[in-house]
Amino acid sequence: MEKHMVVCPYCGSGCKFNLLVENGLVVGSEPLNGLTNQGELCLKGYSGYDFINDTKILTPRLYHPMMRTSREKPLKRVSWDTALDFVAEKLLAIKEKYGPDSIYCTGSSRGTGNESNLVMQRFARACIGTNNVDNCART
Amino acid sequence: MSCGVPGMEDAGCLFLFGYNPNTSHPIVARRVVRAKEKGAKIIVADPRFIETARIADIYMPLKNGSNVAFLNSFAYSIIDQGLVDEEFVRDHTTGYEDFVKVVERYAPERTKDITGIDPAMMNEAARMYATAEPSSIICWGMGVCQQVQNVEAVHTCAAIACITHQIGKPNSGVAPVRGQNNVQGACDMGALPNFFPGYQSVTNPEVREKFAKAWNIPVDKLSDHVGYKVSDIGHLVEDGKVHAFVNMGEDPLQTEPDAANLKRQLEGLDLFVCLDIFMTQTCAEADVILPATSWGEHEGVFTACDRTFQYFSAAVPPKGECRHDWQIISDLSTRMGYPMHYENTKEIWDKECRELWPGAYGATYEKMAGLGHAQWPIPTLDHPGSPDLFLGGKFSTPDRRARLIAHDFVYPTEMPDEKYPLVLCSVREVGHYSCRSMTGNCEQLTDLADEPGYAHIAPADAKARGIEHDDLIWVYSRRGKIITRAFVDDRINEGAIYMTYQWWIGKTNDLMLHHVDSRSHTPEDKYCACQVERIDDQMWAEEHCQELYMALKERLFKKADRQYVDSDELGVPTELDEADVTPDPQPATA
Repeated sequence: MEKHMVVCPYCGSGCKFNLLVENGLVVGSEPLNGLTNQGELCLKGYSGYDFINDTKILTPRLYHPMMRTSREKPLKRVSWDTALDFVAEKLLAIKEKYGPDSIYCTGSSRGTGNESNLVMQRFARACIGTNNVDNCART
Repeated sequence: MSCGVPGMEDAGCLFLFGYNPNTSHPIVARRVVRAKEKGAKIIVADPRFIETARIADIYMPLKNGSNVAFLNSFAYSIIDQGLVDEEFVRDHTTGYEDFVKVVERYAPERTKDITGIDPAMMNEAARMYATAEPSSIICWGMGVCQQVQNVEAVHTCAAIACITHQIGKPNSGVAPVRGQNNVQGACDMGALPNFFPGYQSVTNPEVREKFAKAWNIPVDKLSDHVGYKVSDIGHLVEDGKVHAFVNMGEDPLQTEPDAANLKRQLEGLDLFVCLDIFMTQTCAEADVILPATSWGEHEGVFTACDRTFQYFSAAVPPKGECRHDWQIISDLSTRMGYPMHYENTKEIWDKECRELWPGAYGATYEKMAGLGHAQWPIPTLDHPGSPDLFLGGKFSTPDRRARLIAHDFVYPTEMPDEKYPLVLCSVREVGHYSCRSMTGNCEQLTDLADEPGYAHIAPADAKARGIEHDDLIWVYSRRGKIITRAFVDDRINEGAIYMTYQWWIGKTNDLMLHHVDSRSHTPEDKYCACQVERIDDQMWAEEHCQELYMALKERLFKKADRQYVDSDELGVPTELDEADVTPDPQPATA
């Protein structure tokens, strides 16, 4: 069994624990002596890991890029190149037509981590040229 | 927070104001218990008799929506009883006279009908808070922030800490305990429309100069004005101001108020892109879905509620074609003509955070290895980190003095009336988190609590409507009508009901008013008017809930199934089908 140290993705307490991994599946959690949790966890720390394994209890995981070219068409699986080229082209056209402030980006205050937020805000500011970047701090 | 979480247990008094730690932060709640065991006084002000109220020295059952009137009276009591630290006020603050001019109109006797608090209790609590040794901490949560007078209440809490000198020393001050695991981090990292990383203002030309240089662009390419706030996105699309939305890891159609209206507004986008790990209700409306790696599949740094940076590792490799969020955005940027490339998260952290935010320079990955951590401000490599802010009464204003501000009380936006006589307040429950895309896919947490969720209602209000515990009920407001289950609860106040916001059927945000305050643009999720009604045919209601739940799930599964069919193969739908139509949560049979 492998053990990998993580910080809990739920509330802002910052509890540290190990994720226990067997055959590529996360099968358990084990509290660590972190600064705030001192070897303890709440029920989300103990029982909140199996969504990673794609349990399909509520909603399925996403594994492949999908897109639709118009609202009248259904979503289809596409390659990363197709999806990202489509988004890049559309964003450039929208920026050209309506200006950089017509594009909105969000960072995330959830499990994505600080680095994803650093990259997203640089993208909004340096690539698009807008300060329209925010996170769900208000809800 | 001006203090650290561990230090809470060494305060002499914890004043919990609109904060329910047992539900929102169980591991912080244990510090409250420890503080009590070490002899601290506990004051709880909340309309509900929350778990912490059971160990409180004083429990203050304030009325919903009365925060600023309450705090003004609290400040009045401090001044009236001669408990102001005049030396601290003189040496470390400005604006005291103007502050007094406002709060002197709020004698507890005059506000008792608004707040529901007996003046003697107000005086006793103010004395307990102001005189506690060695320090007091005011802790708050969304009970302060999601009100129409949220910024006003925060100003007043901070002023109360200043006039009593319960700030500017260890384990003291103000503790707005952040709800989501990295909301402090997202804000720290500049995912805010007014700040670059490290709260460096976008309107400051010198700051823009610094970032333009680091990012290899001419400074005039950086916007010199503050951006829009995401809580306004629906109106911005409707007014033709925003045409494209790149949404990373959030599910606004579940978490934002007046969600049904927001869905309609977002249909006006020219381009809607979602980066997510699950097919959420929001993803289901997107034009482009980009699959990201989950927590557990990527590494990085989170910031805890008390400014503590901690490293987390990846436990399992990415699944399918999933990429890290930072890889997706860097690739997109490069395709748009602004190349961004990083080898790993450490490179991002060093270049984009440590190098550009002096207050975080000492927070290296090495320092955060294992059980290590780094609490900002941490400006140098050998700095120990800062559990406490404003030590010695030195504040982060240009003159290093705290500005004392008070505000007159204003009633909530939508008061109860004859047709909608109850207050609806959106709260949290311990086993589920945010939109529940993560916890709703955890077996044990789903076993513990599932659709349609509960509306907690006081026994007298339930009785008056013929409602018994566990009955299915209608809850309706001016925005919508939903089914949920009644939890008849003698620990809540009459005249209000409390619901959590993660359910699809008992969807609180189809009822909530979308009203934001003028400063922070935070929705008033703690207060709108509603009515509750028993459903006569309970059998029908149970079946209906089941059917609706299955239909809502099935729709998302069908949409997600399209990722497994190659575009060139036969069998790919070429026309819209039932997966593209949302089941109606309010059937005609109602």
